[in-house]
Amino acid sequence: MTTLLDPTPSLVEPGERPDRRAAALRATGRWAAAIGGALVIFSALLLLRGANPLEALGDMWVSTFLRGRSLAEILNVMAPITLAALAVLVPARAGLTNVGGEGQLMLGAIAAGGTALALDQQLPGPLVLVLALVAGGVAGAAWAGVAAILRLRFQVDEAVSTLLLNFIALDLLLFLIYQPWRESAAGQPTTRELADAAKMPVITGTVINVGIIVALAATVVVILVLGRTRWGFRLSVVGGNAEAARRAGMNVAGLVISALIVGGLLAGLAGAIQFTGIEYKLRAGFGLQIGYLGFLASWLARHRPLPVLLASFVLAALAIAGDSLQLDAQLPAASVNILTALILAAVLGWTTVKARRA
Amino acid sequence: MSIEAPVAPTTLPMLQVDGFSKRFGEVQANSDVRFDVHAGEVHALVGENGAGKSTLLKMVYGVYEPDEGRMLIDGEPVALGSPAAARSRGVGMVFQDLRLVPAFTVTENIALAANPGPVLRLKDLAAEIAEASARHGLAVHPNARVRHLSIGERQRVEILKVLMTGARLIILDEPTSVLAPQEVDALFAVVRQLTEAGFGIVIVTHKLGEVRAIADRVTVLRAGRTVLHGVDPDDYDDEQLIEAMVGRAVPALPAERGPVPPSDVPALELTGVSSRGDRGHEALTDISLRVQPGELVGIAGVAGSGQRELCEVALGLRPTTSGEVRIGGASVDSARDAIGAGAASVPEDPVADSVVRRLTVLEHMGLDGRRIPARGLGVDWAAVRARMTDADARLGLRIAPAKRRLSELSGGNIQRVILTRELALDSSLVVAAYPSRGLDVANARRTQEVLLERRAAGSGVLMVSEDLDELMALADRIVVMHDGHVSGEVLAADFDRQAIGRLMVGGTS
Repeated sequence: MTTLLDPTPSLVEPGERPDRRAAALRATGRWAAAIGGALVIFSALLLLRGANPLEALGDMWVSTFLRGRSLAEILNVMAPITLAALAVLVPARAGLTNVGGEGQLMLGAIAAGGTALALDQQLPGPLVLVLALVAGGVAGAAWAGVAAILRLRFQVDEAVSTLLLNFIALDLLLFLIYQPWRESAAGQPTTRELADAAKMPVITGTVINVGIIVALAATVVVILVLGRTRWGFRLSVVGGNAEAARRAGMNVAGLVISALIVGGLLAGLAGAIQFTGIEYKLRAGFGLQIGYLGFLASWLARHRPLPVLLASFVLAALAIAGDSLQLDAQLPAASVNILTALILAAVLGWTTVKARRA
Repeated sequence: MSIEAPVAPTTLPMLQVDGFSKRFGEVQANSDVRFDVHAGEVHALVGENGAGKSTLLKMVYGVYEPDEGRMLIDGEPVALGSPAAARSRGVGMVFQDLRLVPAFTVTENIALAANPGPVLRLKDLAAEIAEASARHGLAVHPNARVRHLSIGERQRVEILKVLMTGARLIILDEPTSVLAPQEVDALFAVVRQLTEAGFGIVIVTHKLGEVRAIADRVTVLRAGRTVLHGVDPDDYDDEQLIEAMVGRAVPALPAERGPVPPSDVPALELTGVSSRGDRGHEALTDISLRVQPGELVGIAGVAGSGQRELCEVALGLRPTTSGEVRIGGASVDSARDAIGAGAASVPEDPVADSVVRRLTVLEHMGLDGRRIPARGLGVDWAAVRARMTDADARLGLRIAPAKRRLSELSGGNIQRVILTRELALDSSLVVAAYPSRGLDVANARRTQEVLLERRAAGSGVLMVSEDLDELMALADRIVVMHDGHVSGEVLAADFDRQAIGRLMVGGTS
């Protein structure tokens, strides 16, 4: 250990020697083993249902990744999931748990839909699209702001308030499509469809819509803002030790509010993209579960932006695979949720074990 | 010092450690360490943090296995695989952090440790405890609830627990760090009684005064090696013992320091301040206190007498229920007020209060409460780094490299980061709680010098310490707290351990 004459303090604690490459290899191995284990259990369930697991999984693989348009579909589905994941990630940096992606996304879609449907007959399509995206982001931010105020004023845990606000958002959507915004001609309660001119354009020569570009850009912005700005630095102090932030004279309340609001903005943007790029009309079941998938993606990625892209891609692919399972193996589409859940449980279980050891 | 049982080297030692070596990764924690204890003696084990004391004791107590070397108990080689094995061979350990269940009675706590089998005979056990505590002068009531006991009493319960499990060799790991001076005296009386009865005692400490007061022999470890082995402390003076611990001579603090300059505006002024603790109880009652610019005021008191709350109130971190706090004349209601008025602070528990584990040393340097240096929207890390280099050069506490995460640092290294950041500031007030905690002798001395430098530069310094010697060496004035009140105040000219000790337990000087 150190003596006074030793120029550098001794820092190595017994048994500690970080080796990044070995750690990355181990992490990859854990992921592979977790996914493999989940597939084995899922195969057993398929067998019980009388399906041939190899065939079913093979069909899933082929139709998800090898069919012509399926990669484009995955990317389209991935865009809102990525944004919803970032909506969890930014507040998590400040130590907050935003479970409200679903509701913030819903509000974003309502605002985007309301704006776009009100204007798409009068204004040029691209302008309507931009206004819809802005409205979606603002509405999502405002919805998260409600939770922020509840936390600061009444000490309501944001994990609870954001979750409960999801149900209010859903009821608000249902009210709007059953009553004021209902297209009278349709049998199902929905709004009318957005005019083609205001729909999100596709990348030339593909069916991939611009949503994925927005999502990727948002990821880059989040990386830069969290990693390079004073605001991002302060968030990581608040998230790491709020008492340290307070003693350093930081405005902890302001930072908490701003992190939640930025999260809401990203979720609202996800809702706006889901509306203008994928569904084009508000209906019951709009954007269902995207908020929760984003929550899972962020946790799977341990709240780091680049892995969030991978996790969002995997979850989007599983969602697409579920459709193929229904079509090819005559199993309910919900079956794939079992696979999703198994993978999540396995990955989270294993990464948590690792985190505890570290 | 007192020798009740004369050391007789011809008799077989109870415990003999022969060349223990232990390596953790790249750190050689012990190399060829020798140590022995005879029945009826107190053997002090001293050394800096990281000198290998706890590694040695953990091997003696069966927690670690040595890589090399052997250990003899009563002349017979033993290999202890576990603490249970150590206990069965008569080796007992009283840990620094007392391990009792507060809601249980003394008897119940001892029953937990004594492992009496499936049927609890608490009454029999209580009788045995009463008998043992009377025999060893421990004055512990078997039916008292531990949460009603003082720290000193709890420590006696721990000693009793070790005795009841059949220990003949008792290791006390820094037993005095949590005690008031009177309690230290009481503990030493118990230790003397035990050695008279033929027990062997190992006492770990870093206070030379305690070595002289209680130890028959002393062993000094440095960098995992035995520097002095079982010598009579009377054959060495303080400078020699410190040099043995540190590896070089440590300069004494300057004895002469200027008078406190007269000033109209105190650096810190508390007027009739009361405040609640974390559990909602009244933790501070009607505290009035002044620290002048260029004055160092020490706060003495038994742990938990309101020191933490006092520091937090002074820094605007804890709301007052009545009274007023002013720093340099400016009223303080929040942390930002205090920082704005020029306060710097060293918290009582830096890991809990000031450390973000996954951030680096450099990033922590940006958290001094001043405006974070800006470059566009980002942080000007080059400016922070320049600040850090300058602070480190001026203070000389040799902080860890800028890129290290705080989660990788030991307690002492963390303390040096926080000290360097806060004491390098051009502050009008320094509130330092236990500033030398976790530091080795040389860094602790340097920290004391820096506090005196802050005082000489015109800062008011409010310093909390559990080490009365440290306070008496540094302070112009010592304010004693007891149970949330100021129980007295002593000027430097009148410093007297016993008088301060009486105030600490609520008496009058």
